[in-house]
Amino acid sequence: MELNGEQLIAAPIPEVWKGLNDIDVLAKSIPGCEEINRIAPEEIHAKVMFKIGPVRARFAGKLLLSDIVEDQSCSMAFEGSGGAAGFAKGKSRVELKPADGGTLVCYTTEASIGGKLGQIGGRLISASAKKIADDFFQRFAAELGGEIIPLEDVPTEE
Amino acid sequence: MKSAAFDYVKPGSLTEALGLLAEAGEDARLIAGGQTLLATLNMRLSEPSVLIDITNVEELKGITLDGKHLRIGALVTHTEIEESDLIAKHAPLLKAAAPHIAHRAIRNLGTWGGSLAYGDPAAEWPACSLALNATMIIHSPSGERRVAASDFFIDLYTTSLEPDDILVATEIPIADSAQVFCFQELARRHGDYAVAGLAAVAQKQGDMLTQCKFIFFSVGATPLMAGKTQSWIDGKNLNEQLIVDAVKTAREEIEVIADLTNSAEAKQHLVGVLLERALKQMMA
Repeated sequence: MELNGEQLIAAPIPEVWKGLNDIDVLAKSIPGCEEINRIAPEEIHAKVMFKIGPVRARFAGKLLLSDIVEDQSCSMAFEGSGGAAGFAKGKSRVELKPADGGTLVCYTTEASIGGKLGQIGGRLISASAKKIADDFFQRFAAELGGEIIPLEDVPTEE
Repeated sequence: MKSAAFDYVKPGSLTEALGLLAEAGEDARLIAGGQTLLATLNMRLSEPSVLIDITNVEELKGITLDGKHLRIGALVTHTEIEESDLIAKHAPLLKAAAPHIAHRAIRNLGTWGGSLAYGDPAAEWPACSLALNATMIIHSPSGERRVAASDFFIDLYTTSLEPDDILVATEIPIADSAQVFCFQELARRHGDYAVAGLAAVAQKQGDMLTQCKFIFFSVGATPLMAGKTQSWIDGKNLNEQLIVDAVKTAREEIEVIADLTNSAEAKQHLVGVLLERALKQMMA
């Protein structure tokens, strides 16, 4: 599964960068986050309760950061296990770009999902992932005291 | 696989059911037909502590005609809708849609209210309720409230229902003699979830359609109303060119989400195919 997107957040780049690296901000932004710990500067462990439709699955996972360029971009690899429900793993790249009215957060993600969740949830995995990403950015923007600006409203410079 | 252990209660009235639900909070799940919930429990994708079986609650049963509205209780099964004379006469779109829902065994048990409350974007009833301007009647410990179908489906599997709410029934304005409709879905096999579907309703006056409602389902996170396409068609004489333009408008305005087997482009194409078929059928 691939999930690519961009979100405009009404906050300057250094603030967005700081937020993305602050586990307290992340804890409040990740939907269903129950526990999050930074084990090493580039390793984060988390427990997340996913609630989508009929599914309630608790995932324990870890996140490894790499290629970190401050205020610009980073890559991350993640894997999580939800016991009987299944597992997810993949990698993601995040880039921050200056934009009118704030910071454009661009992300590309490649993930694979297996186990029961993959078998019966396959039909709506993409839609679910998009919903989780949207929820995350909404909460994240609120944590930074800003808001998400709908991209259609942004004048493009091209 | 078998489900994890849970408690089971079967209240005899709506008040009792609401009380039990308020008490147990988010750990409780309501069960009626169980056609989605039981599979989820057995796969252990969800482990609620208590199931509240609402199938004895009289207030949730039956299809009744009340003046200019049809009231469909939340516990009415898909088969009851398929076979009801009141539905055939006053909400024929539902009769046309019912046979598309899964298979007979599932239609015998699965319920109208269950399908609406679950809010699966591929399901038939959420799309039909939007096309027919349905109103959801919802009870909570603080009383009754009414929510238009257009405000009910919020996001993927997300409705405006709160954890202590019970969807009691739905009211649908009855069809008059000028109503035309079309229900179409494209699925790989009959009974599968649709790759794309359309519930269409309009009033027909000569060569014109007015008060058009085109609801596409199984293409996005919720059923999607084609507002621009509806206004484009509304009140104009229907001809080949208008249909071509409408198909183009619908393909542009409906924001489809790809799934694992169908690309966004494929779904977008099917949106147009469905609309063209529906318009031709409604004008025939």
